[in-house]
Amino acid sequence: MSAKTVRWVEEPKMGLFERMYLPAIAQGIATTVRHILKPQVKTEQYPEQEPKLPANYRGVHRLNRDDDGRVRCVACYMCATACPAHCIDIVAAPAPAGWKDREKYPETFVIDELRCIYCGMCEEACPVDAIELTTLYDLTGLSREEMIFDKEKLLSVWDQTTKAGTDPVRTKSGHYGPAADLPK
Amino acid sequence: MATVYINDKPVDIGTERLNCVQAAERADVHVPHYCYHPSLTVVASCRMCLIEMGDLKDGKVTMIPKVFPGCQTPVKDGTVIVTGDYAKRDTSVPPLAYDPKYVPADRAKKAQADTLEGILLNHPLDCPVCDKAGECKLQDYSFEYGRGETRLVDEKNQPPNKPELSSKITLFTDRCIMCTRCVRFTREVSGQAELQVSSRGHHSEIDIFPGEPLENKLAGNVVDLCPVGALGSKDFLYKQRVWYLKSTDSVCNRCSTGCSIHVDANKDVVFRLRPRENPQAQGYFMCDEGRHGYHHADSTERIARPLVRRGDKLVAIPYLDAAQEFRNDFETHLRLHPGAVWAILSPFLTVEEAYLAARWLKGKSQQVKLALGHVPMVGEDDTYPKDRRGRPIQPVKFTIRAEKCPNRLGVEAVLRHFEGSVVPLAKAIESAKRGEAKAVLLTGGYPDPGTLNVFAEKPNDLMLAVTDIFHGAATALAKYVFPATTFSEKEGVYVNYAGLAQALHRSCKPPLEGRSEGQFFMDLAQRNGLFNAATIRKELAAEIRYFAKLADGIPELGVKLF
Amino acid sequence: MTDFDFTYAVILMVVVFAAIMGSVAYLTFAERKISAWVQDRIGPNRVGPWGLLQVAADGLKFFFKEDIIPKHVDRVFYFLAPGIGVATALLAFSIVPFGPSTPAPGPVGVTAEKPLDAAIAQHEADVKSYHEHTIFALAPGLDIGILFAFAIGSLVVYGIILGGWSSNSKYSLLGSLRSSAQIISYEIPLGMSVLGVFLFAGSVNLEKILDYQIHHGWFILYQPLGFLLFIVSVYAECNRLPFDLPEAEQELVGGFHTEYGSMKLGLLLMVDYIHMITTSFFMAIIFFGGWHFPGLSNIDGIGGMVVKFLILGAKVFFFLMLYMIVRWTIPRFKFDQLMALAWQVMIPLAMVNLVSVMIVKEYQLTPWILTVTSIVTFLAAAVISTREKLTVIQRPVNAAHSA
Repeated sequence: MSAKTVRWVEEPKMGLFERMYLPAIAQGIATTVRHILKPQVKTEQYPEQEPKLPANYRGVHRLNRDDDGRVRCVACYMCATACPAHCIDIVAAPAPAGWKDREKYPETFVIDELRCIYCGMCEEACPVDAIELTTLYDLTGLSREEMIFDKEKLLSVWDQTTKAGTDPVRTKSGHYGPAADLPK
Repeated sequence: MATVYINDKPVDIGTERLNCVQAAERADVHVPHYCYHPSLTVVASCRMCLIEMGDLKDGKVTMIPKVFPGCQTPVKDGTVIVTGDYAKRDTSVPPLAYDPKYVPADRAKKAQADTLEGILLNHPLDCPVCDKAGECKLQDYSFEYGRGETRLVDEKNQPPNKPELSSKITLFTDRCIMCTRCVRFTREVSGQAELQVSSRGHHSEIDIFPGEPLENKLAGNVVDLCPVGALGSKDFLYKQRVWYLKSTDSVCNRCSTGCSIHVDANKDVVFRLRPRENPQAQGYFMCDEGRHGYHHADSTERIARPLVRRGDKLVAIPYLDAAQEFRNDFETHLRLHPGAVWAILSPFLTVEEAYLAARWLKGKSQQVKLALGHVPMVGEDDTYPKDRRGRPIQPVKFTIRAEKCPNRLGVEAVLRHFEGSVVPLAKAIESAKRGEAKAVLLTGGYPDPGTLNVFAEKPNDLMLAVTDIFHGAATALAKYVFPATTFSEKEGVYVNYAGLAQALHRSCKPPLEGRSEGQFFMDLAQRNGLFNAATIRKELAAEIRYFAKLADGIPELGVKLF
Repeated sequence: MTDFDFTYAVILMVVVFAAIMGSVAYLTFAERKISAWVQDRIGPNRVGPWGLLQVAADGLKFFFKEDIIPKHVDRVFYFLAPGIGVATALLAFSIVPFGPSTPAPGPVGVTAEKPLDAAIAQHEADVKSYHEHTIFALAPGLDIGILFAFAIGSLVVYGIILGGWSSNSKYSLLGSLRSSAQIISYEIPLGMSVLGVFLFAGSVNLEKILDYQIHHGWFILYQPLGFLLFIVSVYAECNRLPFDLPEAEQELVGGFHTEYGSMKLGLLLMVDYIHMITTSFFMAIIFFGGWHFPGLSNIDGIGGMVVKFLILGAKVFFFLMLYMIVRWTIPRFKFDQLMALAWQVMIPLAMVNLVSVMIVKEYQLTPWILTVTSIVTFLAAAVISTREKLTVIQRPVNAAHSA
């Protein structure tokens, strides 16, 4: 940065009114008191009142199924590679004999939901729209083990969310990539 | 003296006979290519190395108005080469006097882009599931030289895969770009010519003859040779994405050829071995015995912690306790009857490890006897190429040696220094049988279980300590068993059959409580600190004349000791 | 009633202590609620009706938290610090007349008109009538009065310094260093701002100051500048925003109590609130006439007592609320600003104020002149400050700039 790019800004000069401070403090106190008397509370009472989440909310993951009910994932490891928290663990294997359209599938697919930072990079990296983050936000568990989601659990999240209709299939690898076509 | 100009840069190639790709390599210019390989014949079929060429005469450049395949075109004095990368040339060199109408690299660049488009026409967009992705020349060159989108509107030609190509190798036919490197390899290096191209034009495919799969001992190399993901090793198939692998330079320990290799490992697990080009050792390739011979490192059967005999049973105890107990026991024997103590140094030990063991024992007593461990020999030296009937033919391009250990020469040199001569194992066994030996330290590290079964019985009063990778007859008799480490877990030097010393580098941790033998012998000799191969090497280079050249470190390709 | 009734004293102490602790507890609740409202939130609302039992939950939490004592602390002083803090803060309250008070009779005054006998008789009658009143102060008739409160009150700084030092942590030490500099600096304007009041009342005894105001009008009328200086100094003494540098969370983690936990932390936090209560009483009593309110102070009997209690309570409540409102109005000072305010502004102003009082007293002028002088002094100070050249970041000279 050269000296020429530095723009010096003069401090605004304070006049007598500002120098007296007290009027300004009185103004401030007036504002504060106004808020005390008429608080414009926007708080949601959470357990009683469920939040309205945007469609692109990043909650618990799910593994999408294709039309035949098979897992869409082709075990390309793109999500595991993109994951900044290293929470995705995949073991790939040659696809079962009946699967004509692909050569590789995930034998196991494990996400450590405790390690995950819910950044959504896996969803963006996925070339086949297999992994998505849902609007399930209240993920709790009593042990670390139960927070490690395996393939069956992740597929059951798909079943659960599609049955409930809360999360339509979000990604659709269009021309501009998965993130472009959000449902309204 | 012949001078060649590559992208304006003059290079003196002396009297060598080079083609344009090699000459460009001398000027640090990479000419992309698929089908060209320095150890195979040139076919110029991929057309990726197209370049522009001309002549420099009397200070004037005459360019020939067409493109040439760089791999097939020899260079001579005054040859001017302009590659597609002319824009990235070294601009500190003054440009040559081209015809003012000539635009350098215009033609070559277009030729390369068009070539890639042609290659990619039928290539499936498989990258997510393709094992080659990440080290694929097609990806790299498409990124650098290709166009972004396909103009093909028709269906791609997608022939079915051929997983039955071989027991070790599978062929994804649709990914093939017909460079025919694999075909030439089986014809020229392995010699049995199992592979061939069938059909024509866009329908040509790599195939085997019916009922004759690709099963020679060098077959694995076709996977490395394949510039795309068409040929896949079933051993590595879908195991890891290549970008997770960390590559370490090392030496194959499966025979005394001592092939230079890359060890590709991730999180302390070796996933594959690849040959490392080394003209002093083996050339460009390696055999399948070595390539697939690393699985012992991850075997669940491995001895993973020190075991000490308590009554009839071997009990696992912490390493430091075991090492101390063993040292006390062994040194008592050394004090009482040093002449009846034997240490048998395995040819799987590195030079440093053998030295540390010998140094320790001979330091305690000159009467301790050192012997060379069991040297596994399997059949005869196996040379390639072979003809269709499997008979070796000259000239030999690759040898798989009968001596299935990596460091006999190195250990022998250590033994000769400390013992005066190399005492064979048989003599040790004999003296044990006669009851003349009271304590034996038997080092192993043999990658195949059961190699040490030569020790099947022992007198009752013999104290036997064994270091090995797998349990066998010897460990069943032993009072102390220590885990041995394998090539991927240690640092050190192996000396191959021809006296070439090459360095091993550690890429994985030893299992559980295992320590490298170097550390083990340091602990036994009560030398402080951690085992550092370079330090020990300096010490032994000063002490043993045979290893004097190792004092200043080891170059990447190793150093000839004699 | 005798001069000193032990039972009465003990009962009074217990009642006052309980009242202070209760107030402190509910002050934290009020603080949280007011903070929430200012920030358009709801605040604690889950424990009990309207969250009123939150206080109990917080207190229980403090008691049941694991008492972690860091290894690196100086254990003696580490334990002593919260104790010193709370003890001194409570002690300062002992002289506060928290209810309707009567000034203790002065010494026997013999004048030309009043011979000795009459004077003694008068005095005895005064003492008798004084003892007939119920006295709402732990240490009534203490003649050094407010000086005692200032002296004891500033001992709180020992709690803070010891806490910060014994914690053996950079943040704590920095917090306590700031605190000591701040409290020592603000002691001066604090003391000087009430000197004018003492001159008028002729005493530092709080009951007498109060009594003076009943007869001559509240001091806020004659000493507005004095009050302004007093309230500012008091905020600084209490470590309340905008002067809470000792525990500036953004810079010092927790300030001097970073290494404290469980009830020890609770005690340290309590100190501030006890201080707030004490100083609110001071402000109400010294400048706002304590339990006096025009037209309401002449009611006698129990009813009158209740009314007086309510009046005093209302005034104290007002100042407590002001503390909290100011907290969310003015941002924290920088340390140099804090020091400059004390030494360059408040001490000179207090001095001018004091001199004005002396002149008025000397020449027997009407005290209303002081109201005018206060306002004039304040305006003059503002005018002077506009003429002052205060540029912290100097713009580089143009020549060097273009080079």
